[in-house]
Amino acid sequence: MELILIPILASLIWAFLPIKSRWIASGLSLIGLVVLLTKYNQGSFPDGLVVFDQPWLGESVRFTMVIDQITWFMLLLTQLLLPIIVLSVKDQNQKLIAWAFLMQAGLNGVFMAQDGLIFYLFWELAMIPIYFITLQFSEKDNFVTTIRFFIYTFVGSLAMLASLIYLALLSGGSFAYADLLNTQLSHAQSLIIGGGLLLAFAVKIPIFPFHLWQADTYTNAPAQGSMLLSGIMLKMGLYGLIRWYMPLAAESIDFYQPIVMTLAVIGIIYGGIIAIRQDDMKRITAYSSLSHVGLIAAGFFTLNASGFNGGLLQMLVHGLNVVGMFLIIDIIQKNANTRNLSELGGIASKFKFFTVLFFIIVIGTAAAPLTSGFPGEFMLLNSVFKYNSIHGLLSGLTIILCAVYMLRIFQKAALGSNEIAISEISFVDYLPLIIVAFTVLFIGLFPQVILEIFPLSVEKLMLEISNAKGVLS
Amino acid sequence: MIGIALVFLGGVITLFWGLNKSESKSLWILRFFMLLSALLSGAEGQGWVDFSELFKWVPAHMLNFNAFKLSMVSILSFFGFYILSLLPSTYKKGADVLGLFAFALTGAMMMVGSQHLVMLFLGLEVLSIPLFVLAGSEKENIYGNEAAMKYFLMGAFSTAIFLLGAAFTYGGSGTLILSEIQMKLSFAAHFGEFPVLLKAGVILMSVGLLFKVSAVPFHFWSPDVYEGSPNRVATFMAVIVKVAGFVAFAQLINTFSPMQIWINQWIVPVSILTILVGNIAALVQQTVKRTLAYSSISHAGYLLLFLILPMEENLPILGTYLLSYGLGTIILFYLMDKYSADGEKSFEMFKNIKNNKIDMAALVIGTLSIAGVPSTIGFVAKYQLFSAAFSQNHYSVYLALLGSAISIAYYFKPFRYALAETNEVDAEQNSINGLFSQICLITGMLLIITLGLLPMITERIF
Repeated sequence: MELILIPILASLIWAFLPIKSRWIASGLSLIGLVVLLTKYNQGSFPDGLVVFDQPWLGESVRFTMVIDQITWFMLLLTQLLLPIIVLSVKDQNQKLIAWAFLMQAGLNGVFMAQDGLIFYLFWELAMIPIYFITLQFSEKDNFVTTIRFFIYTFVGSLAMLASLIYLALLSGGSFAYADLLNTQLSHAQSLIIGGGLLLAFAVKIPIFPFHLWQADTYTNAPAQGSMLLSGIMLKMGLYGLIRWYMPLAAESIDFYQPIVMTLAVIGIIYGGIIAIRQDDMKRITAYSSLSHVGLIAAGFFTLNASGFNGGLLQMLVHGLNVVGMFLIIDIIQKNANTRNLSELGGIASKFKFFTVLFFIIVIGTAAAPLTSGFPGEFMLLNSVFKYNSIHGLLSGLTIILCAVYMLRIFQKAALGSNEIAISEISFVDYLPLIIVAFTVLFIGLFPQVILEIFPLSVEKLMLEISNAKGVLS
Repeated sequence: MIGIALVFLGGVITLFWGLNKSESKSLWILRFFMLLSALLSGAEGQGWVDFSELFKWVPAHMLNFNAFKLSMVSILSFFGFYILSLLPSTYKKGADVLGLFAFALTGAMMMVGSQHLVMLFLGLEVLSIPLFVLAGSEKENIYGNEAAMKYFLMGAFSTAIFLLGAAFTYGGSGTLILSEIQMKLSFAAHFGEFPVLLKAGVILMSVGLLFKVSAVPFHFWSPDVYEGSPNRVATFMAVIVKVAGFVAFAQLINTFSPMQIWINQWIVPVSILTILVGNIAALVQQTVKRTLAYSSISHAGYLLLFLILPMEENLPILGTYLLSYGLGTIILFYLMDKYSADGEKSFEMFKNIKNNKIDMAALVIGTLSIAGVPSTIGFVAKYQLFSAAFSQNHYSVYLALLGSAISIAYYFKPFRYALAETNEVDAEQNSINGLFSQICLITGMLLIITLGLLPMITERIF
């Protein structure tokens, strides 16, 4: 519960008190990490530790918060990325931090909620701040883009709400996770309910035909908005996929699996190809993100252990890498006033250390061996290949495509003879980059450290899914 | 009962006291009586006090208030108080306008408490006639004259239709008392056949009420009338008339509950049509006031969904929805009124809101609540309504959800001007609230958030 109350408190403090220091802000956001590591890491909870449980509305909705290993891992991702993001906020955008804290509360709630309606509540609560961040702090009139983003996700959310209400009706009025899990659905019911849930998550992830909001939103949002969106927000969709869609509507997986797999593979290649042709660095990162999360979604839908573990690992890695990329873009843009590759170049000759960090993050995103991208991507591709060799082969192209556009970014921005005027990069700008670059190497060398966080809960989850599927088939 | 007495008394006192004084001096008296009525009726609804001894002489088959209705009377008085506190006067001399507000509110309470068709009709008239006058209270404004004329004609027609329905019902059942009509109907249900007169009666009475709550296809008057009337009167119409109208409507439909299946056949299409037409038409409106008018039409559509539910055990849902709708609507009308003072009517008016943090917070919270986004009472209300309606009819709920998805597109329009950094602010526009309206506004926001995060409180109220 502290994980929700502390951020809300921090958000109120930031919104109404005139403090203006990103160090204090990062300090406040670190409290979450400290709480997570000290209070909830005394043992691992494969079966879930009930942190909070109170009736909320009538007899049907209980405010239940549970932490198990997967949840703990997702919470770790959130608390780890938030200080990095907060530290990079520009001085004139201090009010953004208040929204970011509110979003942290929402995200923590999403990951911990064990009740359908509470999950929905936090799901929306996490979406409101990002809407206001992208609207309020963007560089130009951003209304059309943000409203499109909000309507896309809101339609998805409402479909999810309808599905949850339907499911609760069938379970006898209760929204509790266990009750929803034990509800048996007919084939038609599972298709409707599963379709609603899947729509919400597919918009959020985004999976191929539902991605239309993504590129514009990322491009026009302030850098921190893009980081929050791609680093943490997308993971809500992926988490929802394995925690809410798959166990609750398991009867529909057989129907949706080939569709989603194919769409995800299309998204992987489509995102990669479009990324190659872009000039704006933010757009490249947006499309690369589409390609990467597509692979994670495909890995989850293969329903085998390698896909689940690799997907979870890749969520953390992708979060860190994409935040690193946006940090770099933000620094370059702040100095050079442009982020178009055609106008950039020659950073390497002036800023050696920055270029090294830049390169580490680039090869980490491109999943070179011994960097963080590699183990997760390998496990995911392995699982997709096991599912179907054609899907596997096609999604394997992502490694080549990713190398092409990532190295293109590095080549055009860092190398070359084009002289751009970068005045100075301060230590505050360097610090988050150093942290990200360190994790790229660390996870690349010791992926086992991360993979040991969640195996028991993953096993339990997979058992739940296969049990629920087995009921019908 | 105490509510009706207090508000009526307040109206009479204001009229005499304020005969030659400016409105602001007598406004305090009326506000005091309204707040007192809200508190006492609320307390009686919770069973903390009991005034029934005082009003023994009122025949119970005419007017009777149970706990739910007392809560609704309390909410009506509170909304009356809230509207008169937030929206400033446009009428400079005399307190006659205030008296009319009080009498209209009395009529709304009579509608809520009516147990008899004559009483229901009387309430409807007492509510409507002052509003006809109020709509035209800005005598120099030609749009106000148009609004008053339109509202009067439409209102007169709808009342006549309602009256015809009541006459048919009397012809079919031989009584005007609601509980007796229900009894007659249950007898008829045993034989499986309902008298045609009763069917015609309920349809005509419903049409009369659908006019009042501006449901599609009887909604055409409402945007025009709202636009022409002074803002305060438009708010009063959008909130008080709808709250009272829906409580009365629910009671009427409950009376005819033996023929519920037949009633649902036409209530559901009307409801869906209202939701979709209201939301889609709101998308293309140019002025804020018309957008709000269509938004209130779409909310009437959601509320019509309530009528297909079994009434008795679901009344808290109606109460929560009306509370959330009223709070959100009043706050948004207040902001619209305040920022349209310089004549700007389109959404661009909100670009000056940046100067005022509290108004900004009110805009965000009010909009989120009325759009039904979680962590506000608007979500709790919509969720309860939809999940209850879902067990009756799946498709209508899917369409209602589609409607609320559409509504985001116009509810969020103000943010384009209110939040975006790129818009320049009119620095000269000074926007300082009076202390009193500031307190009222903060109270409203706190209510929206608190009830949204702790919905068990609303369960206890109703």
